[in-house]
Amino acid sequence: MTSSVVTRGLTKRFGTRLAVNAVDIELPAGVVSGFVGPNGAGKTTTIQLLLGLCRPTSGSAEVLGRPISDPASYLGRVGALIEAPSFYPTLSGRRNLEVLTRLGRIDRARIAEVLALVELSDRANDFVRGYSLGMKQRLGVAAALLPNPELCILDEPTNGLDPAGIREMRAVIRGLADNGISVFVSSHLLAEIEAVCDHLVMIDDGRIVFQGGVGKLIAAQESDIVATPEHPADAQALADLCVGAGRPALVEGVDVHVQAPQEWAAELNRLAMGAGITLRGLAVRRASLEQAFFAITEAAQAEDG
Amino acid sequence: MLGAFSSEWIKLRRRSMLVWGLGGGLFFAVLATIFTIERAVRTFNPFVERHGIRVTFAVLEAPDGLVHGVVDVSTLIGIVSLCLFAGAFATEYSQGTMRNLLVREPRRMQLLSGKFLALAAFIGVAVVLEIVASCAVALLLAPGRGITTSAWTSSTGINDLFQATLHVFLASVGYGMLGAALGVLLRSPGVAIGAAVAYVVPVEAIIVGAIWSNGDRWLPGQLLSALAHGGTSDSSYHHSLVTLGVYMVLIAAGTLAVFRRRDA
Repeated sequence: MTSSVVTRGLTKRFGTRLAVNAVDIELPAGVVSGFVGPNGAGKTTTIQLLLGLCRPTSGSAEVLGRPISDPASYLGRVGALIEAPSFYPTLSGRRNLEVLTRLGRIDRARIAEVLALVELSDRANDFVRGYSLGMKQRLGVAAALLPNPELCILDEPTNGLDPAGIREMRAVIRGLADNGISVFVSSHLLAEIEAVCDHLVMIDDGRIVFQGGVGKLIAAQESDIVATPEHPADAQALADLCVGAGRPALVEGVDVHVQAPQEWAAELNRLAMGAGITLRGLAVRRASLEQAFFAITEAAQAEDG
Repeated sequence: MLGAFSSEWIKLRRRSMLVWGLGGGLFFAVLATIFTIERAVRTFNPFVERHGIRVTFAVLEAPDGLVHGVVDVSTLIGIVSLCLFAGAFATEYSQGTMRNLLVREPRRMQLLSGKFLALAAFIGVAVVLEIVASCAVALLLAPGRGITTSAWTSSTGINDLFQATLHVFLASVGYGMLGAALGVLLRSPGVAIGAAVAYVVPVEAIIVGAIWSNGDRWLPGQLLSALAHGGTSDSSYHHSLVTLGVYMVLIAAGTLAVFRRRDA
């Protein structure tokens, strides 16, 4: 599989602050790659480096096979929404897009197409100063899609959107990938990323702490196995059995929560049967991306000392 | 560069730009013409009239008298231009649109040049409209005051009219260059416009009046004023044009260097 973005030791320092620290990223082409991390982790700076908006202190990167030192060679094939969407408030949405089509020598017919895609056609002639944040966000996505990009970089595209808008944005992003467009989408909302991404890059404090498939990451995390004994009095005995087998367990009400791979549920069932405890419930709760993120970042911080 | 030029024109057609960019200059030009003609005196009496406030009929009846009023307020027209350029560049930073522009046109020299040329063309249109309006007002009011206008439409008068238009335009673009440079450097429209106007109006006047009497031959604001007047007794047209040409090349190179190097 080819890569849409490759970085090698990419570093950006602002004065004494290291915003991006020797970042190595490889994004597969044609899929949705998520870029997650807390606020201030270095997501936006990394994106700005990829878009030629700021210069790296050291390291290198290629976007669509072209070096970031020559952004003119690839930005015509890249669409981008950077941080909060910024437009000319006293121009209409359509005119704002026209500014960009003329500047980038893009076919004007694309304006109507992208406005329809983000469902802004009926408000396209209104001044942007009258738009809600969600509408501005959708106009920002429309602007990113103008050049019919091979790679679309979206920085926090769901900011300011209501739940229905978030769902629509997910559909737009998935639609892009279905049409073979590589999407690199940053967010600090992990549930959003989990819902839409195939590939994941995690950044914390300027460093990459994980990159790979979302499913692989979550499968590697320990699940929460919830066992409910028929008789509540057996809960503590069951928890003790699990701890004895080397699995952390906790009694909450009538339930026993065990941290273990999901396959261990069968072993738990056997242990309970062996001890004469009948289970009336046994469920496996898959680890969420949020749990995975915190597990990885905490492990990275522990490694640092 | 054509793309940057063309896209800038969409922004220049905004109502606010038309009102302040065109309307501001038109207001000063028409007002100055009305005052010049209405307050003109048949003979100049130095004991009654303060020098420079009023002109005589003889001055206005000369071939270049038609545009006397508008040339007299060329500094104000230049300041409108300076504010327009400073605002156009600094606002791109303050409202965050510069990043959008740089993603679509990453060749920063082309972006800066195209934007500057579009603003210069806008100023060109504004200056022509100001001169036309000023001429119309002058031709309307002069006969009523008994000012003879035959020399205005002579071949010398028409030539002087075109030359004055060119001089005011070049000076306005020069003021615009100062505004553009401060807009890019300071990235805040309020600060850039404030700094530019403060420098051109009081600071240079203080320098020339109190510190460096020969400064009117070398300071950019003084030279731009001399250029708009087609040269003065202190600074000839040729001296003003050449010295400003050198300044403008240096300012453009410095601004471009900063714009290319700096993170957006």
